[in-house]
Parts: sequence; structure tokens; C-alpha cells
Amino acid sequence: MLRHQGCSMLRDASAPGMLQALGARGCPGGPVFHLSRKVTSIVPESCLLILLGLVLGGIVLAVAKKAEYQLEPNMFFLFLLPPIVLDSGYFMPSRLFFDNIGAILTYAVVGTLWNSFATGTALWGLHRAGLMDPGVEAGLMDFLLFGSLISAVDPVAVLAVFEEVHVNETLFIIVFGESLLNDAVTVVLYKVFNSFVELGPAHIHATDYVKGVASFFLVSLGGTAVGLLFAFLLALITRFTKRVRIIEPLFVFLLAYVAYLAAEMVSLSSILAVTFCGICCKKYVEANISQKSRTTVKYTMKTLASSSETIIFMFLGISAVDTSKWAWDTALVLGTLFFILLFRAVGVVLQTHVLNRFRLIPLDRIDQVVMSYGGLRGAVAFALVILLDREKVKAKDYFVATTIVVVFFTVIVQGLTIKPLVTWLKVKRSDHHKPTLNEELHEHAFDHILAAVEDIVGHHGYHYWRDKWEQFDKKYLSQLLMRKSAYRLRDEIWDVYYKLNIRDAISFADQGGHVLSAAKLALPSMPSRTSMSESSVTNLLRESGSGACLDLQVIDTVRSRRDKEDAAMHHVLRGSLYKPRRRYKASYSRHFISPDKQERQDKEIFRQNMKRRLETFKSTKHNVCSSKSKARLKEKGRKKKNISLTKETPNGKTQRNIPWQEAAPVLVMVSSEEEESDSSETEREDDEGIVFIARATDEVLQGKTTPGSLDVCPSPCIIPPSPTLAEKELPWKGDQADLAVYVSSETTKIVPVDMQKAWNQSISSLESIASPPGTESGPQHRRFVCPVLEEGRPQSASHVTPEQSSCFQFPSHISRSGRSQSDSSPDGPEQQELQPLMATEEQGRMPPTVEPRRLMFHRASHL
Amino acid sequence: MGNKQTIFTQEQLDAYQDCTFFTRKEILRLFYRYRDLAPQLVPLDYTDKPAVTLPYELIASMPELKDNPFRQRIAEVFSEHGDGNMTLDNFLDMFSVLSEMAPRDLKAYYAFKIYDFNNDDYICKSDLEKTVNKLTRNELTPEEVSLVCEKVIYEADVDNDGKLSLEDFQHMIIRAPDFLSTFHIRI
Repeated sequence: MLRHQGCSMLRDASAPGMLQALGARGCPGGPVFHLSRKVTSIVPESCLLILLGLVLGGIVLAVAKKAEYQLEPNMFFLFLLPPIVLDSGYFMPSRLFFDNIGAILTYAVVGTLWNSFATGTALWGLHRAGLMDPGVEAGLMDFLLFGSLISAVDPVAVLAVFEEVHVNETLFIIVFGESLLNDAVTVVLYKVFNSFVELGPAHIHATDYVKGVASFFLVSLGGTAVGLLFAFLLALITRFTKRVRIIEPLFVFLLAYVAYLAAEMVSLSSILAVTFCGICCKKYVEANISQKSRTTVKYTMKTLASSSETIIFMFLGISAVDTSKWAWDTALVLGTLFFILLFRAVGVVLQTHVLNRFRLIPLDRIDQVVMSYGGLRGAVAFALVILLDREKVKAKDYFVATTIVVVFFTVIVQGLTIKPLVTWLKVKRSDHHKPTLNEELHEHAFDHILAAVEDIVGHHGYHYWRDKWEQFDKKYLSQLLMRKSAYRLRDEIWDVYYKLNIRDAISFADQGGHVLSAAKLALPSMPSRTSMSESSVTNLLRESGSGACLDLQVIDTVRSRRDKEDAAMHHVLRGSLYKPRRRYKASYSRHFISPDKQERQDKEIFRQNMKRRLETFKSTKHNVCSSKSKARLKEKGRKKKNISLTKETPNGKTQRNIPWQEAAPVLVMVSSEEEESDSSETEREDDEGIVFIARATDEVLQGKTTPGSLDVCPSPCIIPPSPTLAEKELPWKGDQADLAVYVSSETTKIVPVDMQKAWNQSISSLESIASPPGTESGPQHRRFVCPVLEEGRPQSASHVTPEQSSCFQFPSHISRSGRSQSDSSPDGPEQQELQPLMATEEQGRMPPTVEPRRLMFHRASHL
Repeated sequence: MGNKQTIFTQEQLDAYQDCTFFTRKEILRLFYRYRDLAPQLVPLDYTDKPAVTLPYELIASMPELKDNPFRQRIAEVFSEHGDGNMTLDNFLDMFSVLSEMAPRDLKAYYAFKIYDFNNDDYICKSDLEKTVNKLTRNELTPEEVSLVCEKVIYEADVDNDGKLSLEDFQHMIIRAPDFLSTFHIRI
């Protein structure tokens, strides 16, 4: 491995700029490896990176005649290590971790102590036996020091290799947890022995040993305490960042890093600090921060960690090339390799033997083999050995060389062979089965049941303590550290349901998209799918804020034939789309006097409409729009839009079969939202958005609208004689001839969206084609429609039989298109593009709730 | 040894050993645990098979249990008459089921029984709703609970009867790999 120094091709290349370029090219090496599946399926990425580092180091050495880049311990500990540790702590499956905490701690503490003492003593014995080169000047203490730094399993290496091997979770968490937690032991041992070496064996008193033991507890517990403290702070801070969402991720990284530095500063175990900070804050932070921040945190953390990892392995390779730093001694190298393997295996077997007496699922022989073989050493050992003082530790050069060899051997040889080994031994792999609600539910139930039984018997076991902790957490910590809304919404069972639904929706969207666009299949083919993913669609809309893709699907689907089943299905969609909001609403109403159901529903719908519009508007704000009619629309004053907007609300209402009186509550609600926005912290990140929009409409309603429109709002009858409606339309439709054109084109756009009305649309388009004068002109339509309206409205209900719907729908289109112009505030034109989408959403939220639900259930039982 | 003889006869101990998954030592230990619940009620001499039952109120009043959502259900399922009053036999039964030696089917059966609140041998929606409500401490709205229950039934209902039979339940539980590992108590 070390022979790579020879490869020098760029002999004549001189400038360090060239090297910089090389280095820069090397860093993306890791990601590049990901691309070639074939290579990485056999060779772990870390090996490839080290090899790449070796090559690069060789080139650098050949060009510059001296080693330019080194893995500086300072850089390593201050910048490269923290992201990796934070990442592993933050994404640690905490339940698994704490379930196995006993085993992990045993391996981390006892195992590491055993390894370092045994290795150190054995090497010392080897030295005494005269097998080593006489140049190795080292006493017992030196060897113990070396043993302490070489025996610790390295989290970076373990993570790099084991993540690709996919062993079962228990095995992984034990090895990985050990590698994280043994840091405290390593650091303490290293420091203690280092000071012993510096003191010289002669000056060590018994009290020093006691101090060493005491410092172990201090360092590990202290580090953990620092981590917990900062986790608490972090959770508390994120509770109050509602108005500054943008810096939420920053807080996460900053405080975790501060925890690291703080622990480092007082020479406690910084790795433990960050690990526990990550583990403990996650629950609260995740609940507090917005979805976007969550994503940001996740990906930033992963990116940082993997770049650090890449850099570390590369630099390991590069640093190894520098011959001036190390001195070779075969006996020492071979002895070390042999002893670390041997003692690790012995230690694992002995400890497992003891542990298995207490474990519910014993670790079998195969697990033990993998555990002993998975003891990879890495950059931590290398950085520690570089940190040694050459004056004090005479044999430093030998130690450096040995460490490099050990690291390379474990990472490359063991890393290469562990995968075949795991396959060969048929180690239980981790199976990524889908999380099911059942599992979630039963896991919780079992926890409680077991805790209860333990209580009955008066046996204070693991379940007892976990139950106690959970109660404490629920009663105090969560209340303190979580937003009220988050606290309420945190129920895991619901979360799982939520996630499942989202996944369903996504797969539905994927699948539906392909199927429909390809074969032009009508939706009836997959009603079950849809109804299953019902609420998830809304979730998606809500979460991503861009309903675009989903709605496009819908447009696609409806373009084809539709029938009664479609209509029924749409009912399902409609009702269920609204559903998740209800939950939110419930939490919302918790803090207020809850109005009666219909009213609340109204408010919901109204607010949602506004929000949707804003969202879609925002998401495509910068899209280029090339519709003439839109351009024309821009010229229309804002006022007109406003007017139509106010009108639109009642229209929308009528569609939903809601009494007109309720329009008033809606408005009240909106205005009150200003004051309430604070206390009613919803989980949505763009709350401010809603508030803003709501206010805007409010102003509009109060200030700018004409009295007439205001009258319309509270007017109590849905079924005004045609003149009323016509009048309503007139002010804004009448004076915009060109707009009308737009409207009709809009209609065709909208209609496909709405499955229920697709039928209707086809008719309308037929009509428009058939009618000779102005095929596409809106006024025609309206003339057509208004009479229809008169008959249609009186009987109108939201549930319309297909035959009825044909005539009934028209007003809604018009009203909707009218609305579409209206609600596109200043930047209106661009907005137009989105109208179909918004229309769907609005439709979807209309509330024939009971029926759809039942429909969905039917499906469930059919399957 | 002498201790054993005073509490149980040899036959009793053998019978217990046959009926449970415990060794003699564990049976005795459990007996002491049982007795600790109500020293005034439980005699130290069980050789004449005294008909001692611990009333449910005693179990429910334990401070550790006051937050546990399933305390009543557990007592009911494992008690002889479904009233929550437990005899020593019931007590031993309960632990026997949760011991490591108990087969998975037995565990599944009792888990099923615990969920089956209305004792109709099916987990129907109302049972699940109760469970979910207990688990979430009534944090969810009825609609949410009902949605979740629908989904749960949908996931596990193999024979499509809208409720979970024991077979459904076992089928589902066996697929969950960590069921065995979670449904254990080590005495």
C-alpha cells in the first residue's frame, strides 16, 4: 500500500496551483465513486478514497519533493470530526441505541480498556523479548499509550464501511455505538498515559492512578452533561424561532458545534458531547422547526458529514506518503496487527458471553465474528498519534508508521473482506420492510403492557424506566421544549399514518402519472389507489407547497373519458382532501372557543383557499407567462379584481351548499387571525403567508370594495333570482370584453382539473365549438349559463347527479374564473397559469365529508 | 429447600412447573413477588390451596401503574373470570406468557386478547379505537383515530371481513421481526 509514492507522472508540473487543482478534483472523488456501482459494490468507498489519497500524495510528493498536505490533528479535531459525529448522533436511531445501551457501554468501556491494556502490555512483552528493532525506544508506558490510541474503534471508519454492508440494526448499532462512546475512554487513556510518559515512570504515584480513573468518569460524564445541556438549549431556542424560520438550521449546527467546542475547551469528551446533543435534541428540534428547515438540516448535515469523511480518508492517504514522518519496524507492525485482531476477538467473545446472560436476544457466534472483525481503526488514531510529542515519546516515528499500517489494513483489508464475510456467514441483514401502522401501534401497546406487568410484579426493569422517562418527558420536557402545536401533533401513531399516506400519494403520483400519460387510462381503473392516498394528497400539497405536479396528474387523468364512478371518486377525493385540515383545525380550536362545525369548516375552507392561492402564486411567481389575455388582464385595475373577489366568496359558498350567512363569520375569522396568529401556531411554515394574504383580502373587503359587493356577502339567500347573479357578474365581466375571451379559455383549462365536471366541460367545449359567433367568447357562455343557473341553483346541493351537474356546473366555472382573475393580486397575469390548480384545490376541499369516508372504507374491505 | 416445602407441596411445584415455563426457583420468586403485593392477604403456606385472590383495586392502586393505559385490560385478560382479580395461578400465568420460553403463538394469542376489549374474539374497529385512544391519551380527534384504525385494519385484514381475527393478528405479528424481542419480560 505504501508503494504508491513512486507513481509520478507530472514531474514537470511545477506550480502549487496545479496541486490545488488536483486536490480540488480529488474531493469530489467520493461522490464520483458512487456513480460506478460496480466498483463500490465490491470496494468500500473509504478504501477507494484512501487509495486516491495515496495516489494524490504520491503525485504531490513527486512534484513538490516534499509532502505538502498533511492531516493536521487540529484541523481534524476542530473541523472534520464534528460534522461526522453530529450527523451520527443526530440520526442515531435513539430507540435502538437505548435498547442496546448496556451492550454498547460494556463494549465501549470494558472492551476498550481491555484492548488497550492488553495490546500495550503484549507489545511491551514483544519488545522485552527482543523481537523488535532496538531503535524502538519505548517503555511500558509508551506502549500503553500506543495501545490506548490504537485500540479504539473509529466511528468514521466504522460508519463508512458498515453503512455499505447493511448488517442488521442491532449489530450495527452495537458496533457503531461502541465506536462513538469509546471516544471518552480513548481520550482519557491517551491523556493519562501521555502525562505519565511525560512525567516518567519514576514520578508516578498511586494517587495519579486514582486521578486517572476519576478523570475517566469526569471526562465521559462531563462530556455527556455538556451535550445534554446544549441539547436542552437548542430545543428551547428552536421553540421560539417561529418568526425566523430561516435561521433554524443554523441554530442546530451552531449549538451542536458550540457544544463540541465547549467540551473540548474544558477537555471533556467532545465526541460524547456532540453525540448526546444530537441524540437528545432531535426529538424536540424536529417537532419545532418547520418542514423546510428539517430538510435543510438533514441534507446539510449529511453533506457536511460525507465531505468531512471524504476529506479525512483522502488526507489519510496523502499523509501516509510522507516518509520523513515514520520509521518502519516489521515486528512492531506485525505484532500490533496481530494483537489488535486477537484481543478484539477475545474481548468480544468474553464480553458477549457475559452480556448474553442479560440480553433478551443473545448475540450469537456470527454476530461476534462480525463484531470482532468490524473493529476498524481510523483517522482518530492517526490524529492522536500525530499529536504525540517526539521529545517525550522517543518511538513516535515507529508508532506513526504502525498506526498508518493498522489504519490502512483495517480500512482496506477488513473493509474489503467484511462484505463477503457477512454474506458468507449469512449474517442477518437489515431488511427494509415498510413501516406499518400495526407495528407502530403494537410496539407502543406492548411497551405499555410490559411496563404494566413489570409494575405489577414490582420488578424495575428496562420497561419500567422507559415508561417513567416517557411520562416525565410528556409531562414536563415536551411541554417546556416544544411548541404547543408541535406538542399536540407529535403523536407517533398519527405521524406514521401521515408518513404512510405521503408515501402512498407519491407512489400514486408516480404510477398514476406514467399510466395515465402513457395509456390514457381513465381514472376508474385506480379508484382504490386514490382513495387510499386520499388525505395524503393534501399533505403533499401542504408540505411541498407546490400542488403543481399533483394537479397536473389530475388534469391528465380527466382529459380522458369519465363517468359516474369518476364523480364518486372525486367525492372521495374532495372529502378526504379536506380531512387532514380538520385535524389541524381541531388543534387550532383547542385554544379558542370552538365555533360550530359548519362555521369552522367555512373558515377552514376560506383560509385554505387564500393560502393555496398564495402558495401557488409564490411558487410560480417567476414563471414566464406568455398568454395574451393575461397581458391584457394586467391592465385591468386592481379594483375590479377586488370586487370580483368579494363576490367570489359567496359563490364558492353556494357551491358548497353553505348558507350565505356564514360568509360573515368567515370574514370575522380572517380579521381575527391577526391577533390569533401568534397563539395558534400551526405547524405550517408559511403561516405568515396566510396572515398576510388574509389581511390583504380583509383590507380589500373593508376598504376598497364597492358597497354593492359588500351587500352581496352577507345576503342570506343562495337562490337569488337570476337578475341578482347577473348583476353580480356584470360589473366585472361586462366591462371586459377581452377578458371574457380569457375566461372561456380558462374554463377549458379548469374543467379538466375537476373530474366531477369534466363531463360538463366536454359539453361546454362542444357548445363553444358549435356556437358559430364567438366560439370561445365568454359572454356567450354566460348568456347560456345564466338561465341554467336559475334552475340549477334552487335545487342545488353540492351533490349533483351527473345530469344535473352538466347545467349546474357552469356558474361555478364562471365564478371560479372570475375569482381567478380577482385573486391574482397585482402580479395577476402570471397567476392565471395556476388557476386550474387552485381550482382543483378549492374543489377538493369542498366538504361532502361523510360519504367519501364511507366510500374509502368500502375499498378497504374490498381489497 | 425447607422454604419450598412450607409454601408448596412437591406436587404443587411440579404442577406449576408443568403449567408454566418456569423453574422451581422462579416460581418461588414469583410467589414472593405476589405476596409482596398484599402481605396481609396472601398466606405463606400454600399447601392447602387457599382461594386467595388479589382484588383489582389493589393492583390498580399501585402508584407505578396509575398512568398505565393497559392496567385494567391486563388484569382482566389474565384473571380467571375476567374481572381483574388475580389468583396466584393467574399471576404465574401472566409471567409465563411473557417469559422468554413462551412460544410466539401463545404470546400473540394473549396480545390479541388484550386488544380485544369486547371479548368477541375479533379485534374490531371499536377495539382498535380504544387502543389508539389509550395510547395517545386522547390526543387525537375521533376522526383521526378512526382514520388510523381504518388503516390498521386495512393493513392487517387478510380475510377482508373488516375486523382482525386471531389469524390475521398472528399473521401480522409474525411478519414483524421484533415482536418476539419486544414482548418479553425477564424476571
